[in-house]
Amino acid sequence: MNHKTNDPRGAWQRLAAAARQAPERQDTAAPYGFATRVAALALAQEARVVSVLERFALRAVGVAALLALFSVALNYEALAPVPAAAAPGIAAYDEPELAPTDDAVAIVLGLAD
Amino acid sequence: MPDDADQPFDLAGCLERVRQRDQAAARELVEHLYPLVIRIVRSHLPRRVAEEDLAQEVFLKMFTRLGQYQGAVPFPHWVSRIAVTTCIDHLRAQKRRPEFRWADLSESEADVLDAAMTNENDVAANDALAATELVQKLLAQLKPDDQLVIRLLDLEQKTIAEIAQLTGWNQSLIKVRAFRARRKLQKLFQELQRKERA
Repeated sequence: MNHKTNDPRGAWQRLAAAARQAPERQDTAAPYGFATRVAALALAQEARVVSVLERFALRAVGVAALLALFSVALNYEALAPVPAAAAPGIAAYDEPELAPTDDAVAIVLGLAD
Repeated sequence: MPDDADQPFDLAGCLERVRQRDQAAARELVEHLYPLVIRIVRSHLPRRVAEEDLAQEVFLKMFTRLGQYQGAVPFPHWVSRIAVTTCIDHLRAQKRRPEFRWADLSESEADVLDAAMTNENDVAANDALAATELVQKLLAQLKPDDQLVIRLLDLEQKTIAEIAQLTGWNQSLIKVRAFRARRKLQKLFQELQRKERA
């Protein structure tokens, strides 16, 4: 090996310059069947992503409906209209003369008996 | 009758048809872009990865992200960037770098290295293939990002601005990586010389 004038800094540049002289491979056309395979795979992949989204969307609708039903069932008593006959105590409050007498305001104003 | 090969490729029309899930258009697009993609893949091909597999991955990514393409850059540039980032992802995935030893070089590679390390004679033009092999082995010693920068700069002779466009890295970062890579290569050459003398 010749060590007379070593120049590691320029060595890379000389080597890169030599490598650039190498002929570039000319076969740049797609191999037979490559484009067909890739196109089919790409469209299938896209369809798969869409179907997964659809499935998730349907599940989300189902879960939302179930939650809605559950919350209605849980709060049924609060939401249901109360018939007057079925709950006389509640209906009684509608009559002013039957108001409870331990109301502080009523006592102060002398309304209580 | 006009020949189809003489007609310029209608990229915009083809993309529109691909968006409407036209398989024939997708095939035409792959055939049209294959030379561009395979050149990038070949110049940045990681070890033990088949070029066709990598090209396929690039195209599948391209189709998956087609909805994100806004037309801000020409479509081939956009695809080039996908190809470069796919290659760098594969290079990063290869944790181990092969050891570089003088003893592992072929006779012609050793001659080329010897010629490159001495100022006296230029590397012969007919040794270009050996020089390419040697360059690949040397570059394999660098970090993936540094490898990419030095390949684009010194082998493909791209400008810093072009590399920034291709990789999405800022220009200062590219300069830092190039500096670091060249310093590492310099050290490698010095180490080789020292071992050879010993």
